[in-house]
Order: sequence, then structure tokens, then C-alpha cells
Amino acid sequence: MKPRIVRAIAAVTFREFWRSPDAVFWTYGFPLLMALVLGYAFQTPSPQPLPVAVVASAEAEAIVARLQRDPRLRPEVLAADAADRSLARGRTALLVRPTAQGPVLRSDPTRPDAELARLLVERALRPAGAESQPALVGEVEDRPGSRYIDFLIPGLIGLNLLGAGMWGIGFNLVHLRTQRLLRRLVVTPMRPREFLLGFLLGRGVLVVPEAIAIALFGALVWGVPFRGSLLAFALLVLAGGFAFMGLGCLLAARPRTIEAIAGLTNLCQLPMWLLGGVFFSNERFDGALQWLVEAVPLTHLNGALRDVMLEPAGLIDVAAPLGGLVAFGALCFVLAVRWFRWT
Amino acid sequence: MTADAAAPPAIELRGLRKVYRRGGKQTVAVDGLDLTVRRGEVFGLLGPNGAGKTTTVEICEGLLAPDAGEVRILGRQWGRGDDQSLRQRLGVCLQETKFHDKATVRETLQLFAAFYPGGRSVDEALALVSLQEKATARQAALSGGQRQRLAVATALLGRPELLFLDEPTTGLDPQSRRQLWEVVRRFQREGGTVVLTTHYMDEAQQLCDRIAIVDHGTVIARGTPAELIRSLGAEHFLHLDLEPAAARELLAAGDLERLPEVQALQADGGRVVLTVASIHRVLPAVLDLLTGRGVVLRDLATRHATLEDVFVHLTGRHLRDEGAA
Repeated sequence: MKPRIVRAIAAVTFREFWRSPDAVFWTYGFPLLMALVLGYAFQTPSPQPLPVAVVASAEAEAIVARLQRDPRLRPEVLAADAADRSLARGRTALLVRPTAQGPVLRSDPTRPDAELARLLVERALRPAGAESQPALVGEVEDRPGSRYIDFLIPGLIGLNLLGAGMWGIGFNLVHLRTQRLLRRLVVTPMRPREFLLGFLLGRGVLVVPEAIAIALFGALVWGVPFRGSLLAFALLVLAGGFAFMGLGCLLAARPRTIEAIAGLTNLCQLPMWLLGGVFFSNERFDGALQWLVEAVPLTHLNGALRDVMLEPAGLIDVAAPLGGLVAFGALCFVLAVRWFRWT
Repeated sequence: MTADAAAPPAIELRGLRKVYRRGGKQTVAVDGLDLTVRRGEVFGLLGPNGAGKTTTVEICEGLLAPDAGEVRILGRQWGRGDDQSLRQRLGVCLQETKFHDKATVRETLQLFAAFYPGGRSVDEALALVSLQEKATARQAALSGGQRQRLAVATALLGRPELLFLDEPTTGLDPQSRRQLWEVVRRFQREGGTVVLTTHYMDEAQQLCDRIAIVDHGTVIARGTPAELIRSLGAEHFLHLDLEPAAARELLAAGDLERLPEVQALQADGGRVVLTVASIHRVLPAVLDLLTGRGVVLRDLATRHATLEDVFVHLTGRHLRDEGAA
């Protein structure tokens, strides 16, 4: 391994990236934009009131008046057919049909809001006198470190490492192959591992600053905390970047067309998006799915990133995922060097 | 880098064979090819597209493995665990390489310079191919000729003993071609060996000390350009443009063909082409004959035989016909 060659490859790779403003934006600007949009979308502390349709009738006004006492409900009076249509389209969570025997509640329990709406409506319509149970006090979880945005920011850092590694490496390697530049390089005294390592360094040099930018952005805009070890954070970002770049190298080892590498990358990336615990917790799946969750490297990176950001975790606490990510990246890299196609 | 009589030849190929298999279909690209390239010569592989030239060269460069046959490059064989040190001694210019789009000429050369410790400096390489003024230009700003010169410069950075040029001037304007030829000649003067493929016969004739004509994966003729042309047995062509009616009569009588020195005759209406060994001996006889028969000569031209004629003679086809297909 000659450092001179690795450096030269890294330099030309970095410049190629840095001189493409569009590539820089989509790799490093876009995730910040996504953090901003998602952060705002989920920051409202009280959720939207649930729409409830009351079928027009003599008793409708009285029912609406009782439902309005609960701010979590938004009742409206609709004609019978309009109320049915509204329920069918999901514009309303629950339908209340007054009858001689009392109100009938109609809903589709497979919709997420339906059961909550039913509970709230049942309570609001309880006969007077039945309210003698002790009142329960509700608290809103809004302490920094426990909100959705606090959960999201470490996930976005992990997601960004995944994207930068897999697309940034895989796609560009195949591009160089289609340009026949790899053929030209392999007839020089350069060794395959020198080329791949230089390529990883050239593309990966911005990985840590970018992760710090997202963390800083979360801290300044939403007060997302940073409670753990900065060193552990930096090492995790490097290890995560290495793992996904290694995977990018491996996926790009054989394909000869851009279409093939795009397909392969999507195939690998989609399960990670879904199971890697980026946008929602992945600790509540059951059976085989939970096994898959554990098999996805992004799960371990995101978990460890949350540990060092949201909890006072140090290097020792994240040593296992750190080692796992490095081992995964190294395995991918070695296989990529072995199987790499230059022509 | 002087040609050493005791040193092994630059290239030795024996019984080289390469078959491409794709989807159950087999294409024999190289079919039992033998070749020796001596040190210090410019050797040309001449043939139509698809003849197997590039495959042969890529096997020599270690890019492809042959299915059969023996390959020795500077006395060494590929895959014996020491490929890197052999690569140090080779310069390669592949067909249509694109370098990094956003890298300047200088940066591209800096990259390749890193592969060859003790090679030429970047400035020296720039000067070799006269690209000093374009040193800070990116790939996209270069013309086809400039790109090709850059490709040759990357091949020369390591002071190679053996330089491969695969169709180095395809698609270039005449001036760019001549500039590249000059680079090749200078490299040879300094003791280098060159293997170049081309389907331009004039390029082969101008540049090469020896040539192998390749068709359907084998060498069908080899020698110096002069030897190959001499092998036709007649080195000149006499083109006559006659009045068609008179020409028909003359040809029917067969008098032209019977003239001594005329080795072959082709006619198309009034246009007649005679293949002859020497113009100065046959021309007076032709003119006497035409005057004697009262045939009007509308135009007359002579042409020296070229490698193209050798190829046509050997295969019945034209080099460029295949190239256009």
C-alpha cells in the first residue's frame, strides 16, 4: 500500500465531488433541509383535534355541545349520506348517529385515530353522575431529549451516512467504469486496494463535518441536546461512514451499468430506511421482523448515535456497535477488492 | 533505454486465442495469432474494426487473459505475481478513455505521476505533447486532439520502455494527427518501443517500421510497409479516363492487357486502372497504343500502391468499408 497513490486518488476524487455544486447540495445540503422540514412538521406539541361527524337530527345539537367540551374533538353536524361519505374517505375519525335508544358510534377500528376518537366520545357522552372517578392529570412530554425531533436528528445523521456512502461511492464507481477510466487506471502500477481506499477517503472526508453540521443545526434550531462523548460521536460517524462506503464499494464491484447499481442500491437501502429506526422506533416489531431489524447496520448506528446524543454515553457504552460497524465495513471492503471488475 | 540485442523481444505472442462468449453465442476475436515485436521499433497492427487488434493489445497490456497461447512482454508473463513491476515499464493509451471531468490537465497528470516514482515531471510531460497552455483547462474544455494528447502524456509519464497506442488518432483532424505522430517518433528516437493499432493505412505507412495486417483474428501478412507493398508484385497504378465507346472497343481487343509490364486491369466504363511495376516504362507504350487507335484520353493519373491495396489484394475488401460498418 503506497500512501502517495492513495493520496493522489483521494485528491482527485474529492475535487471531482467538490467541483460539482449539485452533488454537494444533494449529498450535504439536502439532509439539512429535510431535518428542517421534518422538524417543523412534528414540532407541534398538541396534536390536531380529531374530526367527528354527527348525523343531523333533533338531538344532534345537544350531542355536539357535549363533544365540544373536549378540545381534542372537533365535532360537526352532517346529513346522513354526507357523514357516511366523510367516514369512508377518512375525513372523519368517527360517526355519531343519534337514535331513540341513544347514540350509536360507528368507526373503522383499523384506522389509527378511530379507537382514540371512540374513547374520547364515549367519555364525553357518559351520563351525568358517572364522572365521579378521580380525575387523571395529563402531562405533555416536551423535555429536550425526549421529543420526536430529538429522536429524529440522530436518525437523520445515520440516514445521511447511509446515503452518502451508498450513492456517493457505488454510483460514482460504476460511473467511472462506464467511462472506461477504471480500465485506464488498472494498467498502471496502482493496486486495486490503493484505488478503493483513496476513493473512500476522497468521498468520506466530509462525513464528520456534515454530521456535526446536522447535530449543531438540531441544537441551535430545536435545542436537541448533546449529552455524551464527542469523541464517541466522531468515531461512530467515521465507523458508520466506513460501513456504508464499504457496502457501496461492494455493491459497485461488478455492475457495468448505472441502472444496475441504482437497482442494487435501492434494494439494500429500502429495508434500512424502513427497519433502521430513522423516522420511528424499530424496537416494537415482532418475530422475524425484529431479527431483520437487528441485522441492519443502520439500526446499530442510529441506536448508538442516540445514546451519545440523548444520553451521557461514552466510548465504552458504544464500543460494541462501533466495533460491529468497523468489522462490517472491513468485510465489505475486502470482498469488494477481491471481486472488483475494472473493465 | 537503448535496444539491447541480448534483451528479450518487447513482445512475443504465440498461438494467441481469445473467444468472447455472450448469451450462448461465441465470437472468436483472436484466432491463433503469432507476433514478435523487437525493441526500438514502431510496430503497427493494421486491420479493419473487429479484426482483433484491440483484443490483442489488451491481452498484451494485461487487461484481458487469453484463452490459449503464450504472451511475453519484455520477457515477462502476466499473473506471475510481479505484474506491478511490469506495469512500471509500460505506457498505455487505450481507445477512448475519459479522465475525471472536473480535473484539469495538470491534475490529471499529477494523478498518473503518483503511480510512477522516478518518472517524468508533470511539466516535462506537458511539454512532450505541447499542452502547456492547456495545463489549467478542465477535460470538458479540451478538443478531441488535446484529449488524445493528454492520454498519450499520461502514458509517457513513467518513462516506459514499451508504449501501447490503441487507435490513437481516430477521429482527429490532420493537424492533431501529425502532432501525435511527432510525439511517437520522438519517443522512438529516445529508444522506446511502440505498438500501435490503426485502421488508417497512411498512419501505418508513415509511422511504422514493421506492420502486421490482421483480419479475423490472425495475421495475414507482415513486414515493413515497403515489403508489403512490394509483395503485390506491382507498386503503381495508372488511371486512364477514356471516351467510353472507344474504351469498350479497345478493351474488347485486349491490347492494353497484352502490354508488357501491365499486371492487372480493371475497367468501369471509360475508367481503366492498370496495375504496373513501373510507370516510366509502361506509359509511352500506353500513349502510343491510344494514339494509334485514335482513342481520346480525357485524363491520366498515376498512384503509388498503398497498404490499402495490399489489404484489398489479400482479402478482397477495403479497410475502411469495415470501419464504417
